[in-house]
Amino acid sequence: MRLSWARAFPLRLWGGCRGPKMRRVTGIEWAARPMCHSSSDAPEPPSDHGSQNTPRDEEQGGPAAFAAALEELERAPGRRLGRLELVAAALAAMPALGVARQLDAYNRLLRLLPRGPWVPRGPLHRLFAPFPRQQECGLQVLEQMERYGVMPDAETRFLLLAVFGPRSRPVRKCQRMLYWLPRMLHANPYPLPAQLPPPGLAAACLGLRRIANDPDARLSVYQQPQPEQGDNEGSTQPYIVGIQSAEQQELLARHGPEHPVFVEGPFPRPPPPRLFYYVLRGDPLPPHLREPPPDPERSLYYPLYLDLDLERGPWDDDEFDVNEVEEGPVFALCMAGTGDQRTLAKWIAGLQQTNPVLGQTPVIFRLGDGDSSAGSPGDGDALHLEGSRAAELEPPEVAWGRRAQGEG
Amino acid sequence: MPFSTQVSVEQSYGKVPAASPGEAHEEEVFPFPEISNEELQEINQFVGPVEKFFAEEVDSKKIDQDAKIPPETLKGLGDLGLFGMQIPEEYGGLGLSNTMYARLGEIISLDGSIAVTLAAHQAIGLKGILITGTDEQKAKYLPKLASGEHIAAFCLTEPGSGSDAASIQTRATLSEDGKHFLLNGSKVWISNGGLASVFTVFARTEIVEKDGQVKDKITAFIVERDFGGVTHGKPEDKLGIRGSNTCEVHFENTKVPVENVLGEVGGGFKVAMNILNSGRFSMGSASAGMIKKLIEMTAEHACTRKQFNKKLSEFGLIQEKFCFMAVKAYVMESMAYLTAGMMDRPGLPDCSVEAAMVKVFSSEGAWACVSEALQILGGLGYMKDYPYERYLRDSRILLIFEGTNEILRMYIALTGMQHAGKILTDKIKEIKKGNIGLAVQELVNKVRDSTGRKVDYGIMEERGGLVHPSLQESGKKLEENVYYFGTTVRGLLTRFGKTIVDEQLALKRVSDIVINLYAMTAAISRASRSISIGLRNHDHDVLLTNIFCTEAYFKNNYALAQLQKYADENLDDYIKKAAKQILEKRAYICSHPLDRTF
Repeated sequence: MRLSWARAFPLRLWGGCRGPKMRRVTGIEWAARPMCHSSSDAPEPPSDHGSQNTPRDEEQGGPAAFAAALEELERAPGRRLGRLELVAAALAAMPALGVARQLDAYNRLLRLLPRGPWVPRGPLHRLFAPFPRQQECGLQVLEQMERYGVMPDAETRFLLLAVFGPRSRPVRKCQRMLYWLPRMLHANPYPLPAQLPPPGLAAACLGLRRIANDPDARLSVYQQPQPEQGDNEGSTQPYIVGIQSAEQQELLARHGPEHPVFVEGPFPRPPPPRLFYYVLRGDPLPPHLREPPPDPERSLYYPLYLDLDLERGPWDDDEFDVNEVEEGPVFALCMAGTGDQRTLAKWIAGLQQTNPVLGQTPVIFRLGDGDSSAGSPGDGDALHLEGSRAAELEPPEVAWGRRAQGEG
Repeated sequence: MPFSTQVSVEQSYGKVPAASPGEAHEEEVFPFPEISNEELQEINQFVGPVEKFFAEEVDSKKIDQDAKIPPETLKGLGDLGLFGMQIPEEYGGLGLSNTMYARLGEIISLDGSIAVTLAAHQAIGLKGILITGTDEQKAKYLPKLASGEHIAAFCLTEPGSGSDAASIQTRATLSEDGKHFLLNGSKVWISNGGLASVFTVFARTEIVEKDGQVKDKITAFIVERDFGGVTHGKPEDKLGIRGSNTCEVHFENTKVPVENVLGEVGGGFKVAMNILNSGRFSMGSASAGMIKKLIEMTAEHACTRKQFNKKLSEFGLIQEKFCFMAVKAYVMESMAYLTAGMMDRPGLPDCSVEAAMVKVFSSEGAWACVSEALQILGGLGYMKDYPYERYLRDSRILLIFEGTNEILRMYIALTGMQHAGKILTDKIKEIKKGNIGLAVQELVNKVRDSTGRKVDYGIMEERGGLVHPSLQESGKKLEENVYYFGTTVRGLLTRFGKTIVDEQLALKRVSDIVINLYAMTAAISRASRSISIGLRNHDHDVLLTNIFCTEAYFKNNYALAQLQKYADENLDDYIKKAAKQILEKRAYICSHPLDRTF
């Protein structure tokens, strides 16, 4: 029950006369700490005591340690000083312990705060920005929740109301979070899955699917990594995984063997995990080759093409955009463990199985990072010999060996 | 040009429209085409026995259950001559004109499966031979086809080409001696595929053009089952018209003699277009016949069944349904017989657009009316003991076959746009160039339009007018719609030019307006004739016409408003945006109504 200021005044005086209560410090964590209200030295984070509490918790590591620390604190309440530092320390420790995304941890933390004393006593009290540091502490908790995308729930709101009172800054922030956070969390139309796969083949598959963004595209693994898991440092056989959709196959078939195609890369894909992808693309075709002229006998039922001399009016023409640059078609994408020409040549050989036209098309490798000589069309042909051997996938070592022999 | 109300017509071979869009050529549609008394007696002589046959010897329920038409029924139909209604008498057929064919179609449509079997046989199966066949081909095939001994089928659709019929993969290669074609391929969903012995097959052939280029073009062949290599699959299990035999037909190295090519090699496209465009109008009278029968059956029920101590027929909602059915039947009949009459005129009028309009209106009208009739009966209509559910299932195919309604709407609108475009190109170009005089004239016209213009095409004059005075209101509405449609089409062509092919939502509205205008014209013409010569119940005719014309007038006005540039009623952009978002995720993307965020 909150008392009005008139009733509370004499009680405060009496409380002040009696002096602060000396409580025995229970709980291992606050054993040797100096207690002062505005200390700048933060107390040791509770995580240390997770390590002292070792035997039963170590299998679970961080979250269990945090939970254990909170339990100790809940068992020994009644600490009037140092609560703000306690909260600040706990917030700083949460990411390291891995509990930053658990709402439960925040709720238990908020439960440690006193309910009642920090509620302003009336509109006049509210005018003078009451309990500024306490309210900022509450705001810090909520800010950390926002940063990690944790939605406050009814219990959080209840606790904040009890601790800080309605119309206080933390409660206002909680209301704002309840409005904005769902929107922000749903804003990404392509959210990453909650559990990211470990770097390697699985991450590459995920990355390729996100780049291609086509439900019809087919992902093919051209080479399994050796060893299976782990990083690709020093592996004997890097993974090669490529993706191509049916439309791209058709485009490639129509591109024609007389125009060369380029393998370009590596392009970085920033969001974790860090991946690089390579692109097989061609130059834009000149306009007269681009699309076949409309066939007047294509549709039996209605004319697909009107034979009029009228163009689209300027008010309805949405097509022109200054920023749009004409790019050539992209035929396939690939991610590989290592980015050298050999590996990519294996990718092209694998692609040839579904796109026989690659057998006759010159493939030019334009790999960045000063990679092995970006070959002339002659290089590409050395890998795909005499067209008719499209079915045979000749390993590049043999081809290069032969070229060396031919030169030597 | 028949019915050239602005852009709703295409070029006919002889008559070039002299008027610009926004005018009406009245002489072809008023007065309503009539047949002479002798012809009427003749057709009534046919109608009697056919009605008797259908009433007594055709058991539709059994045909639907067994998914088969009994051979006795087929023989009976052959004896009545119904297999050769449009074949000339010299080849053994009945040699009926389009009008009489439409009249008989009204009765045959009482059983959907039989109607579709006969239509697949003569309206498309042997139409090719009839239109483009040489005399030898006609003499060889038509007599047996007319008597019903052989049945014909039309083979165009393949698994990969439904509406996109020109992408067929069936090939016909010339043999070395140049006397045969070897046909290879398979066709799917062929009506009468299991029964037919004569097929009109479309296949790709290589032809060498005059400039030496080798191209792949479509050719039409007459293929007999006896040529060998023709196999058919099992009949498909369908929702409606279950008695009609629909199956796959496979051709394996079938030898087709060179004499069996219909038209010329490489000219199959034109043949296909002509066949498909000429058979559509009879759907109007067939649907009308079915609805008239339904009105009788449901009225019997509505006037006898009592609920809440009142007969069903006394409730307003039920009365509305009957009026709806009657209006639709009336308009369908008028449109069908007007088109048939125009086609029967001497000369070679090209009424394919009108036929397409009849098909679209009738198929949608039939579906709606059968649904309403079933609704009047309530639970009884849903039971298999009553024929309503069979009519409903049979009428669903009307919106799909013979050119889906969406495709035909595009056809109607685009043909009209092509025609209008040719006439308006110069004028629009002048305006775009910025001719001051023209711009001022346009401005003045716009102001006069918006402040209410009196449109008068002379249909409604006191003396010498084309339409009876009791239809004055409807006539005025028609004229007004015609004029504003003209201006709207001009605006659309100015805005989009030839890229209007991609604006399907705008074209849909254009075709809806055109169909309504044609329907209004047909109804007014028929009602005017009816009241002028004093047919029985002519005032009912006038009443139905006025009801329909008012409804159509408001619908047309709404569609015209939607076609303006910045109209609030036009939701096309929103619709496209929503569709794009749904199709991107290939699912319904809204969250469930019970979802929470915390």
